[in-house]
Amino acid sequence: MTTTTPTVRSERSAAMRRTTGLTRANALLMLRNRLNLAYAFVLPLLPMAFLLFGDRGDVGAAGMALTSTVVMAVLFPVFYNVLSMTVTRRDELVLKRIRTGETRDLELLTSLALPGVVVAMIVGVVAIPLALALGAPMPVNPALFVLAVLVAALTFAVLAFWTAAWTKNAEAAQITSMPVILLALVGQVAVSFPEEVRRWADLTPGAAITDLVRSSWLGLEGTSTDPTLDFGSTWAAAGQPLLVLAAWAALGVWLTARSMRWEPRS
Amino acid sequence: MATTAPTPARPPAPPADREPALEVHELRRSYGTGDAAFEAVRGVDLTVERGTIVALLGTNGAGKTSTMEVIEGLAAPSAGSVRVFGLDPITDRAEVRRRTGVVLQESGFSGDLTVMETLVMEAATVTDPRPVAEVLALVDLDHRAGTRVLSLSGGERRRLDLACALLCRPELLMLDEPTTGLDPESRRRVWDLIRGLRADGNAVLLTTHYLEEAEELADRIAIMHAGRIVREGTIAEVVAHQPSTVRYVTPDGETTTLETDDLQTTLTELLSWAAENDVRLDRLDARSASLESTFLALAQAPEGDLR
Repeated sequence: MTTTTPTVRSERSAAMRRTTGLTRANALLMLRNRLNLAYAFVLPLLPMAFLLFGDRGDVGAAGMALTSTVVMAVLFPVFYNVLSMTVTRRDELVLKRIRTGETRDLELLTSLALPGVVVAMIVGVVAIPLALALGAPMPVNPALFVLAVLVAALTFAVLAFWTAAWTKNAEAAQITSMPVILLALVGQVAVSFPEEVRRWADLTPGAAITDLVRSSWLGLEGTSTDPTLDFGSTWAAAGQPLLVLAAWAALGVWLTARSMRWEPRS
Repeated sequence: MATTAPTPARPPAPPADREPALEVHELRRSYGTGDAAFEAVRGVDLTVERGTIVALLGTNGAGKTSTMEVIEGLAAPSAGSVRVFGLDPITDRAEVRRRTGVVLQESGFSGDLTVMETLVMEAATVTDPRPVAEVLALVDLDHRAGTRVLSLSGGERRRLDLACALLCRPELLMLDEPTTGLDPESRRRVWDLIRGLRADGNAVLLTTHYLEEAEELADRIAIMHAGRIVREGTIAEVVAHQPSTVRYVTPDGETTTLETDDLQTTLTELLSWAAENDVRLDRLDARSASLESTFLALAQAPEGDLR
């Protein structure tokens, strides 16, 4: 039987208190920036408009709308927002100052990522009734859809920290964000690539998100346009794309740990 | 029968609360590697006892901030050791951070948070924080609690820095140029606050460019130059190495400067000589060695002369 000592428990609760306090402040700052807020909530839901142009239950329109929504949700509230918050707080010397106190680096990074991840989850959850109202078919595995949003959001948060490590300042983030944005978008167009190229493109996080959304909601396997997967088989189909996202997240953690900078270059 | 000489009992270790607040031994810090390596801190020894204030002085680039960053646990030393209450700031991070407060050389705040929001956030990261209202009153920012940080003056931001450092009731406070940008009145208020902390038995290590600040506050002074501490002691001890000066203009218009280690005797002899010879000493000026003259002499000395 394992027991948790009071010291470990109190250290855990202290870590939780520090992370929550910092997250609350970061969320407040995010909410105060109206443009940021619009980008975070409105932009990801705009692709839902694709559903207005197809027949009710049209798998093609639903696939396009839902994958675009999830990709936008992990790009704007998560990736770009976390990247810009991290670089801005570093430029403001906030990160350096907070690191002189009891807060640990992991808590500091978690507090920067959490507001964006929570917004992405809200967008993912709101997308379900919205898509149904706009005529999308019933999701085959809604739990897997929500899990896909969560794993994708965490992966892109980690990629944001890695990008921040080599981004000089907030202005430079507009350029340095491009590689990850391309990795996210390539999945949307990969269907039209030749087979040999598509096999490589399937290893990008964007393609993994597309596969997960198509299988979890529409029951589509690979590039097929006929729904063939039932609830149980969607879990099996999710294995490879979830592994791809986990591998990108692990790579991002490793690169971030090696290269993170906590204060501006002098 | 074989006998064994009794093993002398080891002297008991000093109680933990008698450890100096800070002990730095042979500290070195280098940047870069190979041919591009630069050693900013070159073997610093420094002790700060509890209930004392130590001022670390030096010109720009002397290595003060590099030294402070290692003491604060923000960077690892290239060589040597730092002990805060007998603990290593990196391996015993949690315990050290609970007992130390830090004010960095430059303020680091999000401009869109208010003063109160900043301190509430900060308090959430501290194990046993003082009440925020108490800290606001301590640094005289209670009337600005609802103001966004971007609207604060430079001096008010500095006081907010200090407020954040005081939240954890620090036993050792490390202040990197804490009064830069403050008006004279605010500066004196901060000095009173620092003196109050010392009176409560806490230790303070501060760097400053204001020699007056060091003279007002510090029990001991360490002067850094080119990565080394070149003088350390009380103000009297630090200036003792520096000669006093007597300057006057003779009737033929020549300015004469005398340097002496015994100002009273030299001055008495000079005035006696002038009286006996009926010589008028115009613009007579006698000065004891001061911290400023000592600091300037050390800062201008070639590096090799100070080893």
